Amino acid sequence: MLAAVWSLVDTALAAYRGDPRATAFLEACRAALSGPLRVAAVGAAGSGRSTLLDAIVGEPFTARASRLVVDWPGAVELIDGDGDHDAALVLLPRPAAPFPDALDPVASIAVLSRADELGGGRVDAMVSARQLARRHARGELGALCQDVVAVSGLTALASATMTAEEDATLRALAGLPRAELEPALLSVDRFTGSALPVPAAERVALVERLGLFGVRLALSAARRSADPRAELSRASGVGEIRTAVAECFADRADTLRARSALTAVDSLVRADPRPGMAAEVERVTAGAHELRELRLLASLRSGRVSLDDLGDDAVTEARYLLGAAGPNRLACTDDPYTALLRWRARALDTTLPDAQRRAAGIIARTCAALATR
Amino acid sequence: MTAPWLELLDDTIRACAEFDRPDLAQRLRARRASLLGPARRVVVFGCPGQGKSQLVNALLGAAVCAVGDDVTTAVPAVLRHAETPTAAVLGAADAGGPVETATARANKHPEAVGAEIGLPRALLGSGMELVDAPPVGEPTGRRTELAMAALAEADCALLVSDATAALTPLELDLLGQVARLCPAVAVVLTKIDMVPRWRHVAEVDRNRLADAGLVAPVVPVSSVLRLAAAKANDRGLNAESGFTALVECLRAAVLADPAAAAGRAAAATCAVVIEELMGPVKARAAALPPAVSQDGLVKATKRVEQVQRDAARMQTQLADDVADLNSDVEYDLRDRTRRVLREVDDYFEEADPLKVWPEFSDWMRETLTTVAEANADWLLRRFEWIAGRLAAEVDDLPALLDSAGVDDLRTPRVEPFTPVQKMFVGLRGSYSGLLMSGLATTLAGLPLINPISIGAGVAFGARSVFEERGARLKRRQAVAKTAAQRHVDDFFLAYGKQTRDAVRLIHRALRDRLDEVARQVRADAAESAGRVKRAVEAANARRTELITGVRRDLTKLGTLRGRAEAARRPLTVPRGLTA
Ligand SMILES: Nc1nc2c(ncn2[C@@H]2O[C@H](COP(=O)(O)OP(=O)(O)O)[C@@H](O)[C@H]2O)c(=O)[nH]1
Ligand SMILES: Nc1nc2c(ncn2[C@@H]2O[C@H](COP(=O)(O)OP(=O)(O)O)[C@@H](O)[C@H]2O)c(=O)[nH]1
Ligand SMILES: [Mg+2]
Ligand SMILES: [Mg+2]
Repeated sequence: MLAAVWSLVDTALAAYRGDPRATAFLEACRAALSGPLRVAAVGAAGSGRSTLLDAIVGEPFTARASRLVVDWPGAVELIDGDGDHDAALVLLPRPAAPFPDALDPVASIAVLSRADELGGGRVDAMVSARQLARRHARGELGALCQDVVAVSGLTALASATMTAEEDATLRALAGLPRAELEPALLSVDRFTGSALPVPAAERVALVERLGLFGVRLALSAARRSADPRAELSRASGVGEIRTAVAECFADRADTLRARSALTAVDSLVRADPRPGMAAEVERVTAGAHELRELRLLASLRSGRVSLDDLGDDAVTEARYLLGAAGPNRLACTDDPYTALLRWRARALDTTLPDAQRRAAGIIARTCAALATR
Repeated sequence: MTAPWLELLDDTIRACAEFDRPDLAQRLRARRASLLGPARRVVVFGCPGQGKSQLVNALLGAAVCAVGDDVTTAVPAVLRHAETPTAAVLGAADAGGPVETATARANKHPEAVGAEIGLPRALLGSGMELVDAPPVGEPTGRRTELAMAALAEADCALLVSDATAALTPLELDLLGQVARLCPAVAVVLTKIDMVPRWRHVAEVDRNRLADAGLVAPVVPVSSVLRLAAAKANDRGLNAESGFTALVECLRAAVLADPAAAAGRAAAATCAVVIEELMGPVKARAAALPPAVSQDGLVKATKRVEQVQRDAARMQTQLADDVADLNSDVEYDLRDRTRRVLREVDDYFEEADPLKVWPEFSDWMRETLTTVAEANADWLLRRFEWIAGRLAAEVDDLPALLDSAGVDDLRTPRVEPFTPVQKMFVGLRGSYSGLLMSGLATTLAGLPLINPISIGAGVAFGARSVFEERGARLKRRQAVAKTAAQRHVDDFFLAYGKQTRDAVRLIHRALRDRLDEVARQVRADAAESAGRVKRAVEAANARRTELITGVRRDLTKLGTLRGRAEAARRPLTVPRGLTA
């Protein structure tokens, strides 16, 4: 598909020769096709976009720059702010309608940002937020995106950048008797205003950096002699968001880049038609099997299309074949050719519902590609 | 004596009936019933997850409303005072269970429309009921609908917004809407226990409220601290929770003076309803027809005057023409008869009357007949010309009417009336007959005296034996001349009188006809003017009626609105926890 889109952009460049604006636009498309996958954090002001990106990188880069290319686990460019992108992290304060338009079933992850606040800052807030995210991934919200992930960017970033002094402050506080510490953790005002043997300024700084949730969690870890940083990182959900970015975006970078280039060329051709270009775009779109795979995966995930009737094995095989678990698509399949025959038979089976037959047809085509590789 | 607010409410209900809005009247009657009840209704509302249910729990010191990290509340829960705890799920069959789980059961049941809970609480007993509304935020949706319905019944409304973010445009907009419906609104800033910068957020909220022109106090609270304080019976913690200020705020709004609170609520409801009633009246005011133009009426009136002036002028002209004609005709007759006499004189210079008299008599008769005919013909032709001239002018009248813009005034075309000329042509035969018969009698009355046969000649003749022949001839000739002269004079007198009579007759006929035509034209013009006048008057009357109606309605509603506005005062309360 990527090759087809490359040649489409070249064809378009020829068709729009002499038009400086269109040419610049198409050159940008070309550059994006050869560059890293562009992933933007999208959301309302104050929703925690910058903090989230910093947390993903493990370093507060957004204070210096609005873009950063990272090489993990593939080339991804993180974008803090508006602008063109191939995939988006869409930040929601809570999983309640109305959902933003930025959600896209193929190229977006819904992020319940500032998830520690969702549970009122209780020590178990992130446990609850994680369950919430999982529940909504199966519901209406899940159908609108690739995944739903709860993250506390603040906690993650604090964990990644915790200083030795902060660590010392935490340990000093953790060493206080329970009867003295517990009332001080009831509220931020109490934590910063109580008479404690640790300087108030340090406590103010600490709660600003970690949030009340982070302070509570870090202190409970320290009291159990566990590593507060590890505890914070684990609870923050940053691992989940990194994994989601890798699996949903980075692993499909080629397809997503090709898709956004295709969309861009399509919008140009619609706005300023040239002879033959619309047909050309249509041809490439129709031939983009990877896009159909992505849409089918999103439908299977949301339950809009269900293959449950075919048995658990078939469901698992379908997800693997479609690339849900990464590049090793044949992990659950004995032999691609017999898989092709099996899925083609399902596609032709008139006793199955239409949606399942269409899905089987797409999977059969995937098998055909794998068999001839 | 009924309370003034009750009077206002009843007047507004009457206005609803009068302005044909039974739906609004129904709404107000329901509101009236609830306002007459003992408890004022405080509705807690806001976007999902802001801590509304927890706030109600914290206010009452009981875990009665279901709280959760996800969107939890689906239907409103009404909390009232009761001696012993009671609970009911509205709109759905409920298996029953502990009071604490009633809202959870109601939230889960797809058909439930609410929950009602009775609790023995001093706060509720002092004349207040609390409503935990479902979240708003989804523009359409059952939760929003139920929440808005609950807000329509509110005597006091608390917008719950947590301290993790400042008030959003959506929340400000919502608060603005609610403040129109409800006299007492406050913003409760929740979760201040977990947000380090809550004082900053409170300040931002106050500024945003001020910028939006909303009068509402911002009360920072922590439900978690309040519940912990209740559990531990910790007064200090309770003070930190900010609830003292919130309760104080509620007291000021509804408990301190319940009658005043009811009055404010009634006023606010009335104001909203009146505004709604005003909508169509304002639309009517905007759609009033423009003032009726007087141009048409002025034109029509002018035309009537013009027609009248024209008629008078034509009568004068006719009289002048006839006077000219009279003198011309008389001169013509005199001229012609003088010429006859000259010929007679010439003739009898030579001819001997004795020999030519019979011949002369015939000639005389013929000549005078010709004179009379020529004169009469000329007279008739002059009349014809006069009539023609008048007819042309009269014929012009309809054209005159047309050009006066009659068409815009929808006046039917004036029937072209019979031209005077035609009438005259019709009469012409009878007039010439009249003249000719006059001539006949005139001539008949003339004794065509034979100067010889009357004896004089004989007498002269007898005497003339002695005269010489020449002298006798001369005498005969002189007698004949004199006889002819007298005869022509008689003719002139008699025929002249006939002519003048005829002229008078014709003049009178023409004048009458002209009068008749003028009268008709005048009548037509007057009628069309009357029609225009009536149309203009009708349009004016209609417009005046519309204007009076709109004005009356606007004044009526305006007065009512003035009363409602005067009766609603915004809530002012202590600031509570401060920065
Ligand atoms: N408690 C908590 N606060 C957060 C979190 N992420 C961001 N914030 C706070 O939210 C505010 C806005 O964050 P920022 O990343 O600048 O949001 P942006 O405007 O979307 O870029 C800052 O005060 C952050 O400290 C989080 O995960 N937990
Ligand atoms: N820390 C803290 N959390 C709160 C407070 N009030 C509510 N919450 C939490 O906010 C979440 C939503 O509360 P809930 O009352 O269900 O919100 P609602 O949807 O507005 O009714 C729950 O997890 C509560 O525990 C508060 O004052 N402090
Ligand atoms: Mg930012
Ligand atoms: Mg609730």
